[in-house]
Amino acid sequence: MSRQAPEGKNLVKRHGLVVLIEHWAIAISGLALILTGLFELPIARRYFITEIPGLRWSGDYIFSLWLHYAFSVVFVGASLFHVVYHGLMGHRAILPKRGDLRESWEVIKSFFGKGEEPPFAKYLPEQRLAYAGIALIIAGLIASGLVKTWKNLFAPDMDLTLVLWATWAHNLFFVLFVLAFVAHMAAILIKPNRPMIRAILTGWIRRDYAEHRHPLWIAELAGRNDHPAREQEAPTRERPPDGEAGGENPQGLS
Amino acid sequence: MKRDHEHGISRRAFLSGVATAAVSGAVGLPAKARAAGEGAFGTLVDLSLCDGCEGRDMPACVEACRTKNAGVVPEPVDPIPKPFPRGKIEDWSKKQGVTDRLTPYNYLFIQKAEVELGGAKKTVFIPRRCMHCDNPACATICPFSANHKYESGAVVIDQDICFGGAKCKEVCPWAIPERQSGVGIYLHILPTLAGNGVMFKCDLCQDLLLKGEDPVCITACPRKAMLIGPKEQILAEAERRAEAMNGYIYGKEENGGTSTLYVSPVPFELLDAAIEKGPGRPHLGKAPRKMAKTDPVAKAVMASPVIGLVAGLAAVAGARMKSGKEGDHE
Ligand code: HEM
Ligand code: HEM
Ligand code: SF4
Ligand code: SF4
Repeated sequence: MSRQAPEGKNLVKRHGLVVLIEHWAIAISGLALILTGLFELPIARRYFITEIPGLRWSGDYIFSLWLHYAFSVVFVGASLFHVVYHGLMGHRAILPKRGDLRESWEVIKSFFGKGEEPPFAKYLPEQRLAYAGIALIIAGLIASGLVKTWKNLFAPDMDLTLVLWATWAHNLFFVLFVLAFVAHMAAILIKPNRPMIRAILTGWIRRDYAEHRHPLWIAELAGRNDHPAREQEAPTRERPPDGEAGGENPQGLS
Repeated sequence: MKRDHEHGISRRAFLSGVATAAVSGAVGLPAKARAAGEGAFGTLVDLSLCDGCEGRDMPACVEACRTKNAGVVPEPVDPIPKPFPRGKIEDWSKKQGVTDRLTPYNYLFIQKAEVELGGAKKTVFIPRRCMHCDNPACATICPFSANHKYESGAVVIDQDICFGGAKCKEVCPWAIPERQSGVGIYLHILPTLAGNGVMFKCDLCQDLLLKGEDPVCITACPRKAMLIGPKEQILAEAERRAEAMNGYIYGKEENGGTSTLYVSPVPFELLDAAIEKGPGRPHLGKAPRKMAKTDPVAKAVMASPVIGLVAGLAAVAGARMKSGKEGDHE
């Protein structure tokens, strides 16, 4: 990933390589976990999923469990990396702030033509809220998943109450995870949000879009650096008091 | 005391063995421990003793089991909803009298094997039921944890939360659990779309174990062909008997180890070849633990939080070093 905006291009760097890798490691393994998790339920054969070319294995509980575990390694590893790395680096831009709930309601209304969008920092208030929500769901999936894994490996006669908690928590968070994913897809399909798709794929975002929609973020970049587009991986000299750091490897995108 | 009485039977069975003194302590844990469900049990089925209750209408153990479990399966709804899209219903409610295989109404049956051993014809009878495995996939990977292995070693299906998806049957090397459609919780949720009844099998008479009593099949046997006791002692007894009869053990290694040990004077390959097998009639052959294949990657899962943590720390250290070099930080 080049650090400099291609000459003459109208772009600002939004995400560093680390964040892109984290987002996609979690997204791809998460989707694979939904699929292999579904195949842990007795549905593949009943619903002829085993007849679909390439999905014959879906009826094999042991193999789909193997895959579920394999993707869990990526999912859990990336999630813990994310927390440790951004936690220690002090990246805070994506953590929810006071007032996000109210502000995000304004934003949603503006999507439907009611009122003006407020100026944004690096993330929309709903992105910060969505982040907190998905983080909670992921934490729940990981904690319950680890208990289930431990039981399968070492403790088949684990206390029934714990087993039931882990299983039903896992099932509940699975449903929430699917809902969160659907909401996430809906959110990025909303027209004003679409330019962010380029950001999550390449790291770069259109400068005119960012200046117009995320003026607080751009101002912050400018205040720190004459050429925000150029200094992405470089460490910030001083962190703004509210932690609204945006220039370098951002913040908490999972 | 009831327990002493029960154990009198087990003890007598042990006494019929050779090394009496060594095993007489094998009988039962203190009632308190049992009631608390502490300590795993093992059972022993001595095929040199079982004669299939020839001459009786029904083998005593089978009859006792059926009597105790009569009424466990509720009356199925009529008509039973047709599961979409396959429409496959398993209804045993009109065939409750079947005793020559496992069904939702019959958790124990006797297999018969006519074999030739050393030139002599020999008939062997084999009581068959759930093996109550040490690490039973049927229980650990139930998506609702409706099937559970207790500390007692009993593997028990909770009929109140089982959806009858039959995953347990699929992963059991002997396909033991049997489905009755038209009963259970699925009827109240999405009867045609999710679930298809409830799975039934032997529960090792868990309710009796908790009271300090023995399973009824064991107490009913007129020839004391079956025993129950602390797992290690049952294993020692099985090994002792196998050695004494120059025989064989089944259930010690199968599916990664089970709590049911068959002892036989005839090799199990011969028995396996001679018995009638098929739905509800389990084999006596090799039974590797299928889940073993997933153990290495499951261990990697347990290690993954540490991997992520260490990688995160390394990345932070890397970033700090870099910024230190560039000299414009901190
Ligand atoms: C299970 C899969 C996924 C998870 C858990 C996930 C998680 C997240 C999280 C937590 C954020 C930050 C908060 C937010 O913007 O809502 C985010 C941002 C984003 N994700 Fe995903 N994501 C997943 C899949 C995808 C997919 C398939 C796409 C497809 C293009 C995608 C595109 C985006 C975009 C465009 C952003 C905004 C980036 C920005 O602010 O610049 N995500 N994702
Ligand atoms: C996106 C994340 C995940 C989703 C959507 C998901 C979904 C599911 C579903 C639907 C099931 C089947 C129902 C059940 O057995 O409870 C399942 C089972 C399971 N999951 Fe996950 N899961 C996720 C993450 C994880 C993680 C991170 C772990 C390990 C740390 C894990 C370990 C397990 C285990 C051990 C089982 C039980 C398999 C079995 O023994 O039957 N899962 N998962
Ligand atoms: S014999 Fe089959 S049903 Fe019984 S505990 Fe073992 S795996 Fe489960
Ligand atoms: S232990 Fe109980 S349920 Fe199991 S076969 Fe014997 S009598 Fe039947």
